[in-house]
Amino acid sequence: MTAITILGYPGDRRVLGFTAACRAEGLRPPRVLSWASLLDGSLLDGALLDGALHDGAAPAEGPDFPGLLRVDSPGEDPVADALLRGPGDPARVGGGARWHATLTAALERLRAAAGPGLTWLSDPGDIAVMFDKRRCHARLHAAGVPVPGALPPVDGYRALRDAMAQAGWERVFVKPAHGSSASGVVALAARGGRVRAVSSAVPAPGGGYVNSLKVARYEREPAVAGLIDALAADGLHVERWVPKAGVHGRAFDLRVVVTGGTPTHAVARTSRTPITNLHLGGQRGDLAAVRELLGPARWRQALDVCAQAAACFPATLMAGVDLLADTGLRRFLVGEVNAFGDLLPGLTGLPGGPAEGLDTYTTQVRAVTSGLDPGQPWKARTWKTVPCGT
Amino acid sequence: MTVNQHLTSFAGVPVVEFSDDGPRPAPAGEVAWAIRTEYDGEPFEAVFARFLAAVDPGEVTRLVVGYWGQGYETSSEGPLRLLVEAAPRLPKLTALFFGDIVMEEDEISWITQCDITPLLAAYPALERLDVRGGNELRLSPLASTALKVLRIESGGLPAAVVRAIGASDLPALETLELWLGVGEYGGDAAIGDLAPILGGERLPALASLGLMDSEIEDEICAAIASAPVVARLSRLSLSMGVLTDDGAQALLSGQPLGHLRELDLRHHFLSDPMVARLRAALPQVVLLIDEAEKDENPEWRYVAVSE
Repeated sequence: MTAITILGYPGDRRVLGFTAACRAEGLRPPRVLSWASLLDGSLLDGALLDGALHDGAAPAEGPDFPGLLRVDSPGEDPVADALLRGPGDPARVGGGARWHATLTAALERLRAAAGPGLTWLSDPGDIAVMFDKRRCHARLHAAGVPVPGALPPVDGYRALRDAMAQAGWERVFVKPAHGSSASGVVALAARGGRVRAVSSAVPAPGGGYVNSLKVARYEREPAVAGLIDALAADGLHVERWVPKAGVHGRAFDLRVVVTGGTPTHAVARTSRTPITNLHLGGQRGDLAAVRELLGPARWRQALDVCAQAAACFPATLMAGVDLLADTGLRRFLVGEVNAFGDLLPGLTGLPGGPAEGLDTYTTQVRAVTSGLDPGQPWKARTWKTVPCGT
Repeated sequence: MTVNQHLTSFAGVPVVEFSDDGPRPAPAGEVAWAIRTEYDGEPFEAVFARFLAAVDPGEVTRLVVGYWGQGYETSSEGPLRLLVEAAPRLPKLTALFFGDIVMEEDEISWITQCDITPLLAAYPALERLDVRGGNELRLSPLASTALKVLRIESGGLPAAVVRAIGASDLPALETLELWLGVGEYGGDAAIGDLAPILGGERLPALASLGLMDSEIEDEICAAIASAPVVARLSRLSLSMGVLTDDGAQALLSGQPLGHLRELDLRHHFLSDPMVARLRAALPQVVLLIDEAEKDENPEWRYVAVSE
């Protein structure tokens, strides 16, 4: 008899949130495997894994969903971070390539060790693609999902400016190829000798860059070049900066959580800076105002684009899709798809949809326990037939 | 702060986008048509031509000109020339917003303007002109008996433009609003450049004055304290700038301001006691004032809009 198992950072908000959702749905509290134990090898050492996944240590009564694994973020676990990126300041920017390689290798080791008896709520291969912005962009584009244009690979500031000139683009988002949230993302505008960069990355006293909670701006070319060159060491993905529509005096984009193929949750993120991420001064905006601005037809179109993006990851139960509307409100473009994009405390599902009144975690628990066959990959998404919020 | 949203109303009427692929039926009542291109849309010129063909230009009273493209070569000169050429076909145009461009399209200090003097010459009946962007903005002294509202939003307004406004003959001008901005972005007007405006000799109808978004807001306050134009104002805005207790003290020690209907000081660095003194000194005035900006270090004080 087992419960759902979480791979995460024991005790963090994500794990606690999902645990609470399991309890609320009458399930046993999930067992938690720590990223640190997977990364340092102790989890896969001997019988520990088998015990963790399959033994009867689950303490409470409740229905049984054997061998179900939810992979969540390593979060802010400094031990896991050091194992993923190597030792150093957890706030530093960079190390994404190593982070990605280590994380995906660890998931593959776990998959091999656990064998076919383990059902993954998120497929390790999908997670690997979602955390590589170049591959994610390519997969979405190949599937016909609207995405901003991307530049060919660049290895530094000079190459970036050349590629921008070649494409005729003055404004781009420079993103570290790997990693999540806005870490190291640079909104860059360049016109001849005039240049302006906005980023969460600020110079660290001892060299390098760290993430700041406030965005910084750079207007001297050597400083901008230094920032881009530093980020380029880990690989870059450069997309055209598509002007975002505004509401209530702020630019906005949408984070739409797609569960089992259905867009279930949406939050508007608004900002006065080019970077809308909620932890960088972005605010939860007025979703009702955004919906009113778009009107019912375009709102449905927006949700459809998100479902289309999530469908590129069919073996994954939940995807957090970042969607922007251009200033003309006619085009919707997918910025990113986030494997761990469901940390949205207090946000309940879209009215009229299957997640109305439910938070993102409860929605997934319910999808597993009622709507979906836990023995099947999420390709069997029965929720797809449920109409989404209108 | 940045400008992040297109206008939804202008000159008292709703803005209607002319940007869809086909013409829209004209909504009932007056509207301000917005004409703009997009980051990879058709050229502005083509949108403008479609607009003139799709509506009855003879009935257009208000226009909003938005994003016209990017790049060095894409200054506002192209749209300006189109407007000037179209003037005979737009006989009823009385209000124009020239540059409704938001940060996501181009930073306010990157919007490339041009010499806008020909606009007023081509549209002598224009009653309202709003301009966004001070970069490359040029102006010769104007003479208009129709112009009632002149507003320029910028992150840095060139001193030459400020001087040209001061040297203009605008006997009907009721509202003048200038976002002066910062030196880093070309806002190099000194207090002396504002003297003709503050004197008000050529602005007999002025009722609402905004000298805003300035690094030298305190100096402006000191000048306001004895400026002849103030007596005829009902509304004064010294908002968006680096306003400190020094500037507010100058206001309190200067000529009476009790005749104002409204004094706008939003975005400021005033102490709580100074805000209380202002309230006490101006009980009849609607004082628009918000929470003080944080200024741990006076060096870091900032205007509301510059970038």
